Amino acid sequence: MTFSQKLNTIWTFFIINMKRLFRDKTALFFTFLFPLIFLFVFGGLNSGNNSVKFNVAVINESNSAFAKQFVGKIEKEKSFKVDTAVTSFSAANEKMSRGELDATIELPKTFGDINPAKGYPTGQAVIHYTQNSQSAAQTLSSVLSAVFTGINTNITHSESPFTVISKQNNERSLSAFDYTFTGLLGFAVLGSGIFGPINVFPELKKMGILRRLHTTPLRVWQYFLSTMLGNAVVGLMSLAVMFIVAIAVFHLKTVGNYAELAVFLALGIITLLGIGLAIGGWAKNERQAAPLANIVVFPMMFLSGTFFPRFLMPHWLQSITFYMPLTPVIDGARMIATEGKSLLDLGPQLGVLGVWIVIVYLIAFRVFRWE
Amino acid sequence: MTDTILKVKDLVKTYDGKNVVDGISFEVKKGEIFGILGPNGAGKTTTLEMIETLRPIDGGSASIDGIDVASNPYEIRGIIGVQPQTPGFQDKTKLTELIQMFAAAYGEKVDPKKFLDEVNLGEKANAYVESLSGGQRQRFSIVAALVHNPKVFFLDEPTTGLDPQARRNLWKLIEEVRDRGISVILTTHYMDEAEMLCDRIAIMDNGKIIQLDTPKKLIKDLLSRGFSKEQKVEQANLEDVFIDLTGKGLRD
Repeated sequence: MTFSQKLNTIWTFFIINMKRLFRDKTALFFTFLFPLIFLFVFGGLNSGNNSVKFNVAVINESNSAFAKQFVGKIEKEKSFKVDTAVTSFSAANEKMSRGELDATIELPKTFGDINPAKGYPTGQAVIHYTQNSQSAAQTLSSVLSAVFTGINTNITHSESPFTVISKQNNERSLSAFDYTFTGLLGFAVLGSGIFGPINVFPELKKMGILRRLHTTPLRVWQYFLSTMLGNAVVGLMSLAVMFIVAIAVFHLKTVGNYAELAVFLALGIITLLGIGLAIGGWAKNERQAAPLANIVVFPMMFLSGTFFPRFLMPHWLQSITFYMPLTPVIDGARMIATEGKSLLDLGPQLGVLGVWIVIVYLIAFRVFRWE
Repeated sequence: MTDTILKVKDLVKTYDGKNVVDGISFEVKKGEIFGILGPNGAGKTTTLEMIETLRPIDGGSASIDGIDVASNPYEIRGIIGVQPQTPGFQDKTKLTELIQMFAAAYGEKVDPKKFLDEVNLGEKANAYVESLSGGQRQRFSIVAALVHNPKVFFLDEPTTGLDPQARRNLWKLIEEVRDRGISVILTTHYMDEAEMLCDRIAIMDNGKIIQLDTPKKLIKDLLSRGFSKEQKVEQANLEDVFIDLTGKGLRD
């Protein structure tokens, strides 16, 4: 067989398997719609408001005009979300214990009564909180203090010598959604690269399809290459759909070069696929494949930045997880897509991917079994 | 000897210290149908799998058309066709596409329609394998194993699970393959199949070949040793009745 004949073999397998995928509704669902479900769920969770809001209940036991005014003021305050359904302490405590409320602001009976000696209203608001909402309560009390300071200076006509104002600069920083989206890209790459082969290969073995191919002069590398080509193309299509939805629905702003991004993501897909090929190619059946896949997938799912950004981790953990195969895929995709970096800036990421490609494909070739 | 296509000498396969194939030797001539007959577990399938390069040979040797099996597995795979016991094909793939894939695996390009017509599957060209009946699937599997025009064709229990019509049809098909000059080696545990189809048979038990000759000669030898059945055999049996009532026409 000449070399071009061998390449033709790979091409024929690739084309026919692509046609097959598009006839398979279940496969299409898992390839194209399943990642979108995650995108809508996680995108919906943290899109829109980036500002901090506190969920509070206000219990006003005072009848004074000042107290009524004050409640109205709190309800208009941007950083509070007042739960008006809560009117009693027992209801407030129940919601706080479930974490639905951060704190309860109590205005006692005497709050806002005119102090006859001074001629203006006085009072003390009480913030009730639970053990788990201490930091929320602290922030809340500073916000309330600031509100009171404003009122106090109005009443006593004194001037505050020091004040602070905040200004927004015009530079855009990465939003929470940028991290969520590239994390989900990574999750999709992980899913298709590993769960694809570990489900497909044991099935092919069970039906004797690989065994049949084994009786032909087909080489393992030809079979792997056609699988890699197929996975890279389908994977990129699925990621492209995610990008389109993220841009259209969640206003993702991309600044990078799409060609570079595609090349980089294809490299990531092929790396993760190598892990799937090694596990699926080795396993005789699903019972061997599934536990091994879980051992490999779960650490990556939680430590590579798919659902939680890695910068939230302690430094020592960040420096370990940097070397996991999925981490450079997620970091690199974010750097190109949202930070506008080029492949040349991605030396460390490409280096880690390169080492993993060599390792996983060496293992995959070595452990592959046709039946 | 130029008319020998397959040569097997002292072939051994050992599992857990037991020789499941225990030093067997035989030769298959060009253009004959050679049957390996034996009860389940006799070592028939293992013997085939060693010659087909699917299992390592633990002792002895096998060569096809003068090429050693153990040292040139890829060359051997290029000149043999294999029909496994349970032929599996990937789903949601048209018959024409599967033929293209098998041809590609041998580095060849073929006209799939021509091959499908040969086994009366031309009308099913755009169907998926999962819509075929058992007999159609066997016929398809045979033609898929012959896309590269091999010199030797191996079939492992080809008619297990088929109805009488489909079996007869398959026998005819196998004879046509033989008539094209392809040597056929098959395993079976059906005596009628061995008697009607095979030019020569080897009877295997416990990993050894205990007899090897033409079916006629084997029966003659037995009779000459004074064997006779207790009952007189009827001139027809139930299968003859069944075929007479339902006809020889293939049902799918």
